[in-house]
Amino acid sequence: MSLELESPVSQTREQRLGSITGYQGNLHDLVQSGCGGGLKNRSRCLSTASSCSHGPAIGQLSGIEGVVVVDHSPIGCTAGQTGAQNLRGRAPTDPDVKIRQRRVFSTGMTEPDTVFGGTETLRDTVRIAFERHHPRAIFITTSCVSSIIGDDVESVARELTEELGIPVGTASTEGLRSKIWASGFDAYCHAVTRSLVKAPPKRRNDVINYVGFVKVGRKKIDHLFARLGLEVNYLTANSTLEDFARASEALGTFIQCGSAASYLAGALEQLHGVKFFQTYPPYGGLGFERFFRQLGAFIGKEKEAEEVIAEQRARYAPELEALRQELTGAKAVIALGGTYAFEYLRMLGELGIEVVHTAAFHFDPRLDNQSDDPISFAADVQELGLRSDVSVNDIQQYEIYLTVKKLQPDFVVSRAHGASPWAVRTGVVAVEAQIGIQIFGYEGLVHLGRTIALELRNRNFSKKLAHHFESPFTETFEASEPFAKLLPEAA
Amino acid sequence: MPCSEKLRVACSLGGAYTALSINGVLPVLHSGPGCLGQARAVLAASNGGQSSFPYQENIVPCSDFTESQVVFGGVENLRKVVSQSLEAYKAEALVVLEGCTPAIIGDDVEEVVGSFAGSKIPVLFASTVGFKGDNIQGHTLVLKALIDGLLEPPAKRSDRQVNIFGIVPYYDAFWEGTLEALGELLKAVGLEPNILYGLDNGLDKFRKIPEAAFNLVISPWIDVGIAQDLEKRFGTPYLQQTHLPIGPTETTKFLRRLANFAELDRNVVEAVIKREERRYYYYVQKALPWIYRCKALPKEFFLLGGSGTALSVTKFLVNDIGLIPRAVYVTEDVPDEHRERVVELFSDLEAKADFPVIVGSDGGIFEATATTETVQGRPAIFGSVLDEIYAKENLLPFVSISTPLGNNLVGESHYFGYQGGIRLFHEFYSAAAGSAVNLL
Repeated sequence: MSLELESPVSQTREQRLGSITGYQGNLHDLVQSGCGGGLKNRSRCLSTASSCSHGPAIGQLSGIEGVVVVDHSPIGCTAGQTGAQNLRGRAPTDPDVKIRQRRVFSTGMTEPDTVFGGTETLRDTVRIAFERHHPRAIFITTSCVSSIIGDDVESVARELTEELGIPVGTASTEGLRSKIWASGFDAYCHAVTRSLVKAPPKRRNDVINYVGFVKVGRKKIDHLFARLGLEVNYLTANSTLEDFARASEALGTFIQCGSAASYLAGALEQLHGVKFFQTYPPYGGLGFERFFRQLGAFIGKEKEAEEVIAEQRARYAPELEALRQELTGAKAVIALGGTYAFEYLRMLGELGIEVVHTAAFHFDPRLDNQSDDPISFAADVQELGLRSDVSVNDIQQYEIYLTVKKLQPDFVVSRAHGASPWAVRTGVVAVEAQIGIQIFGYEGLVHLGRTIALELRNRNFSKKLAHHFESPFTETFEASEPFAKLLPEAA
Repeated sequence: MPCSEKLRVACSLGGAYTALSINGVLPVLHSGPGCLGQARAVLAASNGGQSSFPYQENIVPCSDFTESQVVFGGVENLRKVVSQSLEAYKAEALVVLEGCTPAIIGDDVEEVVGSFAGSKIPVLFASTVGFKGDNIQGHTLVLKALIDGLLEPPAKRSDRQVNIFGIVPYYDAFWEGTLEALGELLKAVGLEPNILYGLDNGLDKFRKIPEAAFNLVISPWIDVGIAQDLEKRFGTPYLQQTHLPIGPTETTKFLRRLANFAELDRNVVEAVIKREERRYYYYVQKALPWIYRCKALPKEFFLLGGSGTALSVTKFLVNDIGLIPRAVYVTEDVPDEHRERVVELFSDLEAKADFPVIVGSDGGIFEATATTETVQGRPAIFGSVLDEIYAKENLLPFVSISTPLGNNLVGESHYFGYQGGIRLFHEFYSAAAGSAVNLL
């Protein structure tokens, strides 16, 4: 299915991919019904605050060098981003990543805007933003309010592109359009595809794109690609307009995850024939081996790829074996996004850990690739026989809490979205999941193994804390099954 | 307010945090799935690593508005969420907060809330529509909903009980530490503080509001309307303290004012003052040799923050540390009726100082108007995490004192009173020395 790249508005994941936010069952069934097109979403009778597409989109757009974002929304939608993104901008230190200010403006929509329309306020704000920072590109993001009142943001962007002489793009980031906040990443990808990606003057066989949040840690992987004669073009925070412009020249794209990057990788494949490598994300040992093997074959460097694989495997084998010895028999619950839930399922298996439940915050049965290549978890089920009980969770952390309490694993692996505190409160160790470059290949797998081993060697923090936790839920709720609030499939 | 950069306030729905700070009060949101998350980022997570407990944000019930509800209306979904919440959560009251979307499409939220009258616990309503105001307005609306819905005329009155208002939980990152320390100080001078927010402070404290001898409002303008309503309704007088006292000068003034107003035992009050001032200056004395040793320290400062923080910190920096303000940016849209008065309050300082006070939620205006003159003399910057990069790029001493405070854990720390003054004294000089030109 092709992406509607001419439309001003990006399609949501539900529309494009048949993605869902409510499910309980197992991986095998998910693959069968998901890939067969019979997958039905289940809603919940109790829903809690989760997340919307605003944050992911503004976070990514404001991270591009020389870009200013004008959020056409009431102050509250923007304020959250201002705070959050300025923190993210400074999180890890890496010599390649300079700490810089994110520039995000709000039109601060008020009641009169909802009556008379907000496009004049929007024009004024874009002009002020331009005057203040002289950006090289501006992106306008939309909100529930601007969308319901029907402001024609696209026309304003067109007019201002002409007036200011820089690209002024739009991203449809109103929270109500999609149950899946990752649709915000799609809005970002749609916006940069339309405004920044250029047609390739020439094709380069020595460049591969990486689409993700950050390029922190790139030194760990650049040298591996160099062995295949490849340079990595990073399309992440702190990338430049030129990096996006030349993305179309690359031979292919690999991604941090389907949530953040599928749309841009798919768009590059659709528009410019840039191969979207999506079946084997290079995370952990098995992911890396299969990815490098596929990549080597694609560029006719099978031999070099096998050399790198063999070297990497040998280099980390002793420590990996020691970690496997230590970790075999440990039980885990996974609570992660639509891609990493299943990446971690495979990687924990490589470490000898038994996964007793996998919760994905949402689920994409396919990605935006234009080829027939299968999605990674489907390949894993088929090729590696991967199995797990699975729920699709919509960031409903009460389900994680009840699941962890019931299954009593040794640890929970999670990251954003606040599942870990609920594990720790029940006395279960929480392991902070890392993603992207940090878990690339065998080095990443060993790093993960070490992190888990260290956490399990001293469990005092969660063990003691659990004795001092009073549940905010009623006894009836506490006694209920983890997925009791899931309603039957809609007809 | 059109055009705001570096916002330091959330929208009205951020009032949910006031509900979350009162034990037993569970907010139920009729809003988009991400609305609370946006408020959380600026008021809590980026504001000293705060999070609500025991109702962590990601278990706060929310109707998670979707497109189909925009078309067909969202009231039935809300009804379901409220009724599920009544079953699943240990709570003593529910407050339904509506956001932008139901307000635009015309959901009759009041009708839904009304249909839960007679439930095992009260179900109340606050219309915290994001395009109608900021989190301070939301705070006021939530307080009003609780006051109107829960308070009864008192059976008895205390002659010592004082209710504390004016500090907005979470928005003021130091609220918990401040309220605990303030409570201790009030007890030390013979009062019975009734603190409404934080650990062990729940609806039992809230229901005692009408029994108080008086209400203490610590803010240039926030909650003054609430105190006036309570005066009308229960005849409770109120004392407005326009700023949180930080350091010996303002804390001593505050205690003497309080002693006059509440007819406290002067000997007790003066003994506390003497003891605490002595303690403050003990720590200052010990710092002197370190301070006065080949350091080029700033004498001037810029300050950015909400009205309460800005006024409180400015008073301390001028009256006790002896600094001179270059400009103060009050990063809230103070309502028109209070604006002139708020600006005027900055002229009541124990030093001659002629400096602009700029009011408005556009937190980017300071940097937008900054020039090479701004950094001349290396003034200190007192602001939020949003000002830190500018300060560091320009090698200016920086102290994070306002919302959003930054990527740290605020815990129980605070700047209130004599003790808070010692803390801010040390933080200022540490920051100043850390980026000072070394004259050795």
